[in-house]
This record gives sequence, C-alpha cells and structure tokens, in this order.
Amino acid sequence: MMLRRINSDGALRVLGTLALLGMIATVWLGLFVTPNAVGYADGTVRLLYIHPPLAWVMFVAYGMATLSSLLYLWPRTRHPRFDHLAGASAEVGVVFTGLTLVSGSIWGRTTWGVWWAWDPLLTTTALLFVLYLGYLAIRNVPGDPETVARRSAVAGLVAFLDVPVVFFAVSWWRSLHQGPTVNLATGKSYVHGSMAWTLMLGFVSFTLTYIWLMAHRYRLAVLRDREGDEGLEAALAERWAEAVR
Amino acid sequence: MTLDTRRDLPLEDFDDESPDALTLSQAVSPRPPRRRARGSRSKSRRLAVVGAVILAAIGFLVFKGLTSAIVFFKTANEAVAERAQLGNADFQIEGTVVHGSVRHLRTDVYRFAIASSGVTVKIENTGNPPQMFRPGIPVVLVGHFVGSSNLFASNEIMVKHSAAYIAAHPGRVRASPAKSS
Repeated sequence: MMLRRINSDGALRVLGTLALLGMIATVWLGLFVTPNAVGYADGTVRLLYIHPPLAWVMFVAYGMATLSSLLYLWPRTRHPRFDHLAGASAEVGVVFTGLTLVSGSIWGRTTWGVWWAWDPLLTTTALLFVLYLGYLAIRNVPGDPETVARRSAVAGLVAFLDVPVVFFAVSWWRSLHQGPTVNLATGKSYVHGSMAWTLMLGFVSFTLTYIWLMAHRYRLAVLRDREGDEGLEAALAERWAEAVR
Repeated sequence: MTLDTRRDLPLEDFDDESPDALTLSQAVSPRPPRRRARGSRSKSRRLAVVGAVILAAIGFLVFKGLTSAIVFFKTANEAVAERAQLGNADFQIEGTVVHGSVRHLRTDVYRFAIASSGVTVKIENTGNPPQMFRPGIPVVLVGHFVGSSNLFASNEIMVKHSAAYIAAHPGRVRASPAKSS
C-alpha cells in the first residue's frame, strides 16, 4: 500500500489527527452533551457549534489569501510560494463560504422561518462566494506563469474588498441576522456554560481543519508547479491505476 | 505503466517547502483519467462560459444588494410615518410582537400587533407563523398596508433572534418534546 507514504510529512499528519479528534468532540458535545437554548425549538440551536466557526474560517482563509497576494505583489517578497498559498487558501475559503451559506440557510429556516432573505449580510456573503469563485476562475486563465500569478494576486485583492463589507454588514445596515456571537473587540459573548466551551472547541477544530486542507492544497500546487500539467495527469493516472488495482 | 516521478524529476527546487519524500502521485486523490481531449480552444471556451456565469451572478447580487438589502425593512414607526408614500406597495416591516395581542382568527389567519418606538401597527397574517414566533420577540413581516387603513396584511413572518444563547435546562440534557409547544 502506498497510502502510508501519502502523508510523509509528520507535522501535517499530527495536525490532521488533531483536527479530526476536535471535530468528533465538537459533534459529540454539540449533539449530545450541551443543553437546549431558551427560545429555540428542540435541537435547532445546535447549529451554533458549526455555523459561526465556518464563517470564522471563511474570514481567516480570505485574510490569508489576501496577505499572500500582497506578499506576492510586493517586489521584495515576490516568490511563487505566495501565489500558491493565496490560491490554496482562497480555494478552502470558497468551500467554507459555501458551507456557511448552507448551514446558515438551514438555521434560517428553523429560526427565522425562511431559507433565504435578501438581507445585507446574506446578500454580501453570497456575493463574496461568487467573487472568490471568479478569483479561482481567473487563476485558471492560461498565460505566462508570472503574468498569471500577478493577475491573480490583483484579482485576489479586488475580491477581498467585499470581506469588510460582510464583516460589518450587521452593524452598517438593518439585518435579519443577529450581531456577532463573539465580539472580537471585547471577547465577550452571551453563550452559556458548556455551550460556550463547545463553540470554542468548534472554532479551534474548524481552524485546524482549514490549515490541514490548505497545507494539502498548497503542497499539491507546489508539486504541480514543479512537474507541470503533464506530470499531474501522469500522477493522476498512476494513482487511479493503484486505486482500481 | 507506472511512472517513477521521484527518480525522473529534479528535486533541487522548492527544497524548503516541498515535503521530503512526497511525489505528485502521492499528493493527488485517485480519479479516473479524462477521456475528453482537452485542447486549448475548448478550455478557453469553457473559461468564457464560466466567466460569463460568474459576471452575471455578481451583477445580480450587486443589484439585489442595492435594491433589497440596504433597506431590508422599515420599522413600524417609520412605516406609519411614511404611510402616504408607501400606499399599498409590498415592503418589509419590523417590530416587536405586542404581549396579549396574538389571536388565531381561523385556519392560517393570525391577528396581532407589532410595536416599535411606541408606535403600534395591527397585523393580519395569512399562513402559519414559524416555530419561534411568540409575543415579545422582534419579527420582520412581508406584506402591505390594506386600502387606506393602517392594517398591514402579511403573508410571511421572519423571526429575529439575538446572539444570546441561554441554557434552557442547565441540569438536563434534553427538554421533553411534549413541553416545547
């Protein structure tokens, strides 16, 4: 079996294990240990342990992508690694934005009574999702590698313009959505006892999962850059042959 | 045919960032080989389609943002103040459900009042309210004023909730389903 060699990097394997254990603990605490919340129909509050962490990772991922794009554009720090990092982080960010929208929609149905509303926070988050999809598409437009990287970095900065809008949407406009669950400025939250601990664990495990996913995408981008598209096709064929053997 | 990518390819680049004994074939997940020939023309056509769809989606969302999202709702007192301009047009109204005002008229028809900054608006809602609907909580209603009256006919109730999560039964894991309604 080749499987053992896939993750030769020890640190990543440890990280992946921690992320998985954290997820299992979050699910177990969230579903079976924490109490119901006042005013919530039975069970619906349990989305609390995944929806805010998903949204948090979305911000972290786009922040990382933007920082990497800036480092790529800055002549003194320009290196392909920052281009790869930006792409990897944005890709994971898009996945988490999608999950934020889906989990929010389910929660919206059970609490607000609607799957979707054209509310400022929801609308700008949907826009963010599409903007970063566009960014990923731009990364795929063929051209000279350095031009593509520079073009992508600029597109990454443009897409980021919507991030502060999403972040402050609840305070700038009237929204159906409540304010942030944890106030980042004061660190205060109005979450009770074990619910708060479970939410905290959710934040940690989702962040670890983000780092793990991003690191894998980053490694793949580095290897692909080194071996080219033909190398990638050959590698996929090799893995497929192994899988169906 | 298997390809020993490890021997064939130079490893001196990226030594600081690529994992020690990792090759590309180990970093990818198994996936059947592509049947379709991928010419550069079909790729650029696909990118053009993707680009057009994304641009259309961005345009739609920006339009929705500018038309619906910026003023997602008017509060009850604002709606009453702007009663003349609002006419019988559809809009969203927000207020807190007044205690003791909720009456179930007939199947699917509920009457209640909402208040905001001391101004009360009478509501007649068609359709079942969501589970979390109860007096004392803020709601957003979709509908319009009836005739020239200040009665608001709504067909959708959205319940707002705060970011406070208070344990319902700190000593107990689950509330009994019978009591929740």
